[in-house]
Parts: sequence; C-alpha cells; structure tokens
Amino acid sequence: MTGTSEPILRLKNVRKAFGNLAAVDDINLSIGEGEFFTIVGPSGSGKTTLIRMLAGMERPTSGDILLRDKRINDTPANERPTCMVFQSLALFPHRTVGQNIEFALKIRNVDPATREKRARELMQQLHLPADYYSKNVTLCSGGERQRVALARALAFDPQILFFDEPLSAIDYKLRKTLEKELKDIHRETGKTFVYITHSLEEAMVMSDRIGVMRRGKLIQVGSPNEIYSTPRSRFVSEFMGDVNVIPVESNGAGSVRSQSLGASFKVPPASIEGKAQCLVVRPEFLRFLSSPSDAQNSLKGVLYNEYALGSRIQYQVRVGEKVFLVEKLRQQPFKGSLDDEVLIGWDPENSILVADE
Amino acid sequence: MSENNGSIRHILIGVWTAAVLLFVFLPSATIFLASMTSSRYFTFPISSFGLDWWSKILNSLEVRSLAYTSLSIALSVTIIAVVLGFFGALAFARYDWKGRKLYQKFILLPIFFPQSVLGLALLLWFNALGFTLSWKTAVLAHLVWIAPVVTLVMAIQVYSFDPSLEEAATDLGASRWQTFREVTLPVLMPGIFSGSLFAFLLSWGNFPLSLYTTGADNTLPKYLYAKMVAGYTPGVPVLGTISTAAAAVLLFGGYTAMLFLTRKRNAAA
Repeated sequence: MTGTSEPILRLKNVRKAFGNLAAVDDINLSIGEGEFFTIVGPSGSGKTTLIRMLAGMERPTSGDILLRDKRINDTPANERPTCMVFQSLALFPHRTVGQNIEFALKIRNVDPATREKRARELMQQLHLPADYYSKNVTLCSGGERQRVALARALAFDPQILFFDEPLSAIDYKLRKTLEKELKDIHRETGKTFVYITHSLEEAMVMSDRIGVMRRGKLIQVGSPNEIYSTPRSRFVSEFMGDVNVIPVESNGAGSVRSQSLGASFKVPPASIEGKAQCLVVRPEFLRFLSSPSDAQNSLKGVLYNEYALGSRIQYQVRVGEKVFLVEKLRQQPFKGSLDDEVLIGWDPENSILVADE
Repeated sequence: MSENNGSIRHILIGVWTAAVLLFVFLPSATIFLASMTSSRYFTFPISSFGLDWWSKILNSLEVRSLAYTSLSIALSVTIIAVVLGFFGALAFARYDWKGRKLYQKFILLPIFFPQSVLGLALLLWFNALGFTLSWKTAVLAHLVWIAPVVTLVMAIQVYSFDPSLEEAATDLGASRWQTFREVTLPVLMPGIFSGSLFAFLLSWGNFPLSLYTTGADNTLPKYLYAKMVAGYTPGVPVLGTISTAAAAVLLFGGYTAMLFLTRKRNAAA
C-alpha cells in the first residue's frame, strides 16, 4: 500500500468518533511524495472528516498522522505546511482576486511588491486574465473562482494540497476542463495532491492512486486500473459504474453456481474463499453469441431495451428475473429487435469473484 | 380590453401605494406644518406662517443641552450595544454550544416586553442598588432593550457567513486574531453597520425607558412629552421635526455611504 516514492504522509490506525459513531474508522495509509491520491466514497463515508483531520481542522480520536515522519495530530491548521481548497472555495468576498491569492503571503509579512509579483505569476499559470488582479472576487464566474482558490492555495507553497470536492458544483463541460488543468498543475508543480470526491469518474481521470471509502473504512486502495478491473468487493465494483453482479456459491474448483439463475459458471482460478461471493462481469465483457459454444459461460435471455451512451450502446437483456447489461461500440451495434430471444456470454478471465459486501 | 384592464390595475396599485405612504408619513408632515406657525398656539388651518419658533428653538440653550444628553446616551448605547451584539450574534448564529437554543430564545425576550414596565422595573432596581439616576443609568436601561435588537440584526448577517472562510484563513496560516481582523470582522461589517444604525436610532427616539431612568437629566423625547402635557408651544413640533429629520438624515446618509462603498469595491475591476 505504499506510494511510488518516499511517503510524505502516513496514517496509522486513524480513528475519529462523534459520540458513539466512528466517522473514520481505523485508517492506515501511506501517500507518496508528489502523488495525486484520491479518496472516493459516497456521502457519509467519512471522507470529508478524514481530509479535515489531515488538514488540521479536526483532531483524530486515536491513531497517528505523520508528515515526513513527524506526528502532526496536535499541530493546528495554521501551523501545518499544508493547504486546502474547500468545497465552497471559501474565497474572501470582501477582497479582490489579487488580495485573495496573496493572503498567505500577507500573513507572512511578505512585502507588497513581492506579493503582487507572485500573485501575477500564479494568475498567468492558471489562465486568469491579468486585469482580474483588482477585480472583486464575487464578480468572477464559477471556473474563475476555482482558479483563484487554487492560486490562493498554491501561493501558500504547501507541501501537500488537499481538495475537498471543489468541482462538485460545476457543470459537466467545465468540470472536464478543470480536471485536466488540475492534473497539469499537479505535473508542473510536482506537489502532493490529496483529493476527495464522490465521483469515480473524476478520480479515474486525475489520480495516480485511488482509495475507496465506505462507512468510515478504507476498503480498497490501488491504481485507477486496479480499482476498475480488480475490485475486491461488490461495493467497489458497483461504485465504479454499471456492472453485472450475480450472487453465487462455490461449486468446486474453478466453478460457481447461481441459485436464482439455476446455472453454473466457470471462474478464473485465483478466487476468494470463505465469505458470500458475487460474480462480477462488466457490460463491455458480455457478448451476444450465435451459439452457446462461442463462450465458456452463456445464458439465454430476451432483449428488453437499449440505450445510446455516446460512443457505446447499452443493451438490457432479461434472464428470468434478472437484467443483464451488455455494451457494444456504436460502430458495431447488435442487430436484433426488442423482445427477440438472444444468447449472451463471457469468458472466465473477463469475470471476477468478489466478496458480497 | 386586456390593455385597459392593465392600465386600471396600474392606476389602482398607484392609488393604493400613495394611500399607504400618506398614512405612514402624513403625521410626521403635520408636525412639520405645525412648526411653521407664527402664532402662540396651534390652530388648524394655520392662519399665519412664520419661522419664529424655529429660530427660538435653534438658539435655545436648553434645547442644546437636551440634544447633547440624547446624543450622549445614543452614542454610548451604540458603542456598547454593537460590541455586545457582535459577540452575542456570533454566539447566536455562528457557534454551536450547549444552551444555545435557550440563549436564542431568552436574548430576544426583552424586545417584546412592554417598555414602560421594563422602565419601571429598571427604576426599581437602580433604586435598590443605590444608583443615582442620570443619563448614565438611562444608557444601561436602553441597553437592556436595544442590545437584544442589535444582536438579532447582526445575527441575520452572521447566518449568511460561511464558516469555512475562517477555516480557510486559518489554513492559510492566519492566527486566531489575524483571522478575526482580516476575515470575520470585515465580512460582517455590513451587519455591524446596520446594527449601529438600529442602536443609535432606537436610543435617540426612545421615550418610555428614558422617562423612568434619566433622573434629573432630560432627553429630547422626554422634553417633548413634558411640554405636550403642560406648556405647549409651537416649539414642540419644531423640536419634533428636528428630531425626526436627524434620524432620517442619519438613516439615508448611512444607506448611501454603504451603497457607495459597495459600488466602489465592485467597480475596482
């Protein structure tokens, strides 16, 4: 679970309880120097509490937070060499763009000329027009405000930058642009970024590694690709977008059985033992077959509906009570009509067994 | 047809608005008219107009001392009420603490007490405590009623204050005091401003609390009442007009200043 380089931030058994409720429960994590690490989780998973502890706005109930091997649990936010971009952005409404960016420097008694020079550099780097320097920050657009907030945090020159869902209120197109810009800034500055979001899509685009949180626990950490292709639990696999999940029981070596479908499936050899299990097959790995022998696992169903998803088309196929999702590229659509009997299937290496939790 | 309906509706709205404005402002206008007479008594319609009473009042030493007392009380009340109200409003609307709900209810209660009863109660207390009644005891009395009002006025501003602004300032390295000076105070400035206007104007025009608690000192509203009861002269409406006009000027002046500052800040682009 270590990063690609020396860890800058380490969490040991970090726990935060509000009354009897553990908002963050026993988290262990190392974040590497210069890494872009994203914590993903649904609302109420404890991710905001976690980042607030890292930034110094909450104190852990127990456990240790180490910044370059120095324990910082009790170091207040204003003495930590880290900085956060807030969900609300928290720009100072009574100040201009320039004054907002220079805030940290003013607090450090840097002289006005040096402050302005630095602010203008950052404005240029973040594509803010130079004449915005003396513009009141409340008159800026959503995207501009994002950039001002980022510039203000960068002016602090933090060792780690935290982000608390800053893009959640931005419309789709602008968000995509800002995600890319943020990743560019990460490259240019080489700083460690710790980002939290409830959007997996956002996490996938930007991160070096992703940690998935659920009910206060970090349930899986890995590269975007690992999280996507080898989820360890049903929760992670479903969080990562549309999937087909079949509750199954072990049925001897390399095979599982589904009660509800009344069918057995071949599964990849390295599969989990014990606990209740689910077989997960992503829609892009399901195929329409012309005969059952075309794939090692197959099911007979009825084509129920189809949806256009941009570059792909998604088909709903009913097998008994269960609905399966099959995706194909738009250029190679399935030639069949609704209510047709169809045969769908997949090969074991394209499926994974996960814990049913 | 519908256009016709529309114009009738517009006329009716206009008439209604005018009627309401007349209802609200006519009494004050009457006071002004009553002050413009040159006769000894108030008669209506006014038989001979003149500014004799205006010059008499403006040159009267007694009136100057009254205005001075009222001003001293109002300014003292404003300063103390704004400080109390500011921190009171933070406790009211910004911070979560045990007993906050109870505090929110109790702090607002004095606003709804009948002021004449409150004045009497304070008088009893001042006597029991052995205070000599003067304009200073009136300041205390005004505060009992005005500090809650100012707290409420400022709390409205504090409610719209994003707490993450303070966190952001702290996160950027600011100490508690720097955060307060650089962020909390300036962001809440409009609330402080309207709070002080409220404090000043409510104290300036207050009669029932002053009646009981000023002792030998006299304020403008108290003097007006005394003169009405015994010894009416057209000097009374003159003083009334001055008193009302001062409040209006302060209110409009303050509003314009605020508007000007906001414009200036926004136009800096």
